[in-house]
Amino acid sequence: MEFKKHVRIRKEKFGMVIFETLKEKVFVTNPTGAEIIERLKDKKTPDTIITELASQYGADAAVIADDVNCFINNLVRQEVLAK
Amino acid sequence: MEPTKNFNTTPGMAGESFDDFKAPLFLAWQINSVCNLGCLHCCEEAGHHIPGEMTRDQIFNFLHQVREMGIPYVAISGGEPLLHPDFFEVAEFIQEAGISLKVETNGEFIDDRTVERFAALDFRSVQISLDGATSATHEVLRLKGNWGKSHAAVRKLVKKGVTTEIVFVPTSFNIHEVGPAIDMAYNLGCYGFYTGKIMRIGRAALNWDKLNPTEEQYKACFKILDEKTKQYKDKMKVYYYPYDVIEELKYRLQKPSASLLVIPNGNTKLIGPLPFICGNVKEQPLGEVWERYKKAWREPRVIEFTKRVIKDPNLLAESNKWQNIFETRSETCSA
Repeated sequence: MEFKKHVRIRKEKFGMVIFETLKEKVFVTNPTGAEIIERLKDKKTPDTIITELASQYGADAAVIADDVNCFINNLVRQEVLAK
Repeated sequence: MEPTKNFNTTPGMAGESFDDFKAPLFLAWQINSVCNLGCLHCCEEAGHHIPGEMTRDQIFNFLHQVREMGIPYVAISGGEPLLHPDFFEVAEFIQEAGISLKVETNGEFIDDRTVERFAALDFRSVQISLDGATSATHEVLRLKGNWGKSHAAVRKLVKKGVTTEIVFVPTSFNIHEVGPAIDMAYNLGCYGFYTGKIMRIGRAALNWDKLNPTEEQYKACFKILDEKTKQYKDKMKVYYYPYDVIEELKYRLQKPSASLLVIPNGNTKLIGPLPFICGNVKEQPLGEVWERYKKAWREPRVIEFTKRVIKDPNLLAESNKWQNIFETRSETCSA
């Protein structure tokens, strides 16, 4: 998975800002979303991201998986991330 | 440009206000004031050099700061930006910094060699001003303009795979051609067609009575735009901003954008239609200018004047009589 060509990402205090500059749309995330985006930038797969976040937060992987997949699907639907 | 969607967030969270951002999201940079044309509707009164335009060293010092602050998207306009001697070096710097770049030009200096350079630089887009589907309509507004050159530029850019957009400013002279102009953009292979109500600032303010379309003309125009948006859905982006400058000011007073507008001498305006400058990128670090910008929108002087403009749009004619909001003396533009 990778971010589309005209997408620019910047870390902020509140999380992350994602700017799809071709369509001129701006999206923001909270710190949890930022953690997912950092890993997507590092070309990590959703499975790896789920495992890492479950370990980091000591949470149930199934619950994390729902959130991560929902978040990633949102990025794809908004055409900022290509599968 | 504002946050339009939040991922994994709750309403009212940080990231919804310009205050939340550590740096601008967008930089609108008028690199020069020189222009080969004398458009009746120019919002900048462009044409000649203005005093104190940034030197080459000042420009690159500024660009290093743009990169360091992580500004993701820059639009370069003028004047006519292709007349700036350092234009391509500037564009290369921005491209190498990983910043999205849009170039707004009249297209008259885009020859085969320029197209090759644009294609190599792989911009976000090149936006060409074409104010009509015919030379007669375009050139009655764009004095000394050459529709054929601009039209040819679009064709060449598209052929080379450069993302190309057309911008069309409706006036009483050309509003009847908005439909054919959109069709022309599509037939040329453009990525997008952009339009919106003419802004009553700069030279447009001086010619306002001649230029401003009637409400009936706008109504017909927006009907066509709606139809064309549907017709070209998934084929070409037809974008129009339906609000005028007064409606824009009402909105911005509540919700300033996370962007900076830097003019050729380094002055940084709060927004095009207001005369206020909050700093100068030649004199202050860009980070400081950004903080001054955020503070300036809360200054009573700015709020009061903006409310006066909203009540009396004639005051828009003062948009280029710059006033530094943090200094008592005023500075007047001779552009």
